[in-house]
Amino acid sequence: MKNPQRSPTNPGSLRSRFTQVFLQSLLRIRKHNPTSSSSSSHGEFLKRCRRVKVAAYVSMARAVGTRRAWSRATLWRARNGERQRNLLYGRCSKSNSRERSLGKRKRKKKKKKKRDNEEHSFGHAKKLQKLVPGGEAMDFCCLLDETAHYIKCLITQVKVMRSIADFYSL
Amino acid sequence: MDPPIVNESSFSAANPSSYSLAEIWPFNGEPGNGGLGLRMGNLSGFLDGQMNRDGSAEVSTVTEQSGGGGIGRKRKDVSSEDESSKMVSTSSADDLNMSNGKRIKSLVSRHDNGGSRAEGESSSAAGDKQAGQIAKPSEPPKKDYIHVRARRGQATDSHSLAERARREKISERMKFLQDLVPGCNKVIGKALILDEIINYIQSLQNQVEFLSMKLEAVNSRMNIDPTIDGFPAKDLGGQPFDATGVMHASQAARQYSQGSQSEWLHMQLGGGFERPM
Repeated sequence: MKNPQRSPTNPGSLRSRFTQVFLQSLLRIRKHNPTSSSSSSHGEFLKRCRRVKVAAYVSMARAVGTRRAWSRATLWRARNGERQRNLLYGRCSKSNSRERSLGKRKRKKKKKKKRDNEEHSFGHAKKLQKLVPGGEAMDFCCLLDETAHYIKCLITQVKVMRSIADFYSL
Repeated sequence: MDPPIVNESSFSAANPSSYSLAEIWPFNGEPGNGGLGLRMGNLSGFLDGQMNRDGSAEVSTVTEQSGGGGIGRKRKDVSSEDESSKMVSTSSADDLNMSNGKRIKSLVSRHDNGGSRAEGESSSAAGDKQAGQIAKPSEPPKKDYIHVRARRGQATDSHSLAERARREKISERMKFLQDLVPGCNKVIGKALILDEIINYIQSLQNQVEFLSMKLEAVNSRMNIDPTIDGFPAKDLGGQPFDATGVMHASQAARQYSQGSQSEWLHMQLGGGFERPM
């Protein structure tokens, strides 16, 4: 047991909350597609990787709560993505076409955001706005604030994920 | 400020005590000295008038301070200035002063009604000094977290003050970020600092991506194992146990006792298995 030693002593900390939520979501992912791993093509693998990644981000945002703009944006995006995926699940039978249409939608959205950004922001701030979720709607001052919190959370996230991976690869 | 007007006013309305003194004197004094008493009354009245004139002169100087050259009194509240102006307008019967007081009052009320508009007026009307001086001291209580320290040659209108406060806030947050991002302390310049921050975030996100791949591999590998799939006894127990291990350190003291923790664990495990079915 590495985690109890490493984990901070303060109860209900961000780290422990994130670990809890993330492990639950990992469990859920594992239960959702138990048979898909046997037929492991490269695309399937990447898809599952993306799912784990999204789960990590979402569980971090859930651990933070809704008091931060970036976590709100992450949760909102995840929810909308799920909704779209569910809608598309009903329509399309083939997975390839689903992926393509999703990709197209995402691209369109990004283009629109780019146009908006180019009008009122400059160089580095624009890059930062793209990196921080929900950063498109912030002014520079808020963006820096959110960036600081986001970096802290990312550091925690990476640490926890690494410790979990170490624990299981043993 | 004309002395005769002040005298008249003091005799007529402002100082009734002089009259009463003049009236009381002849009654109290000897009948032979009636004229003297009258004269005395006149004298006292005159003295009172003079004193009153002195008082009014003082008041007028006060008004000049508050109205004309009150740079040192900037930090005083609006209320005190308002009071002083009211006092002036009531005590001295001077028409000019009265009008001044009225103007001050009206300006104050306008300022109170529409804050930023009054400031704009004050900045636009350069000739009207009083409005500017009243508008400025009311600014600090509005945004009390802004330390207005306009040095020599710095602009003092509201926009540039707000801009300066914003810049200070940004630089403060930049400093905080600099402390957060490793290796960012040595970098000088806003653009380079932002570059470092962006690189750091990207590297962290890449790490998350890599770790999610790793975790996925671990997850699926454990999934392949038939024993684990069939029986959630040993190895699968590791995962929630891991979670509870973390929680044990953090939350056990608060929510779960040692005994109830394992029960809770089983409950959670059961829930996790029932859900996908």
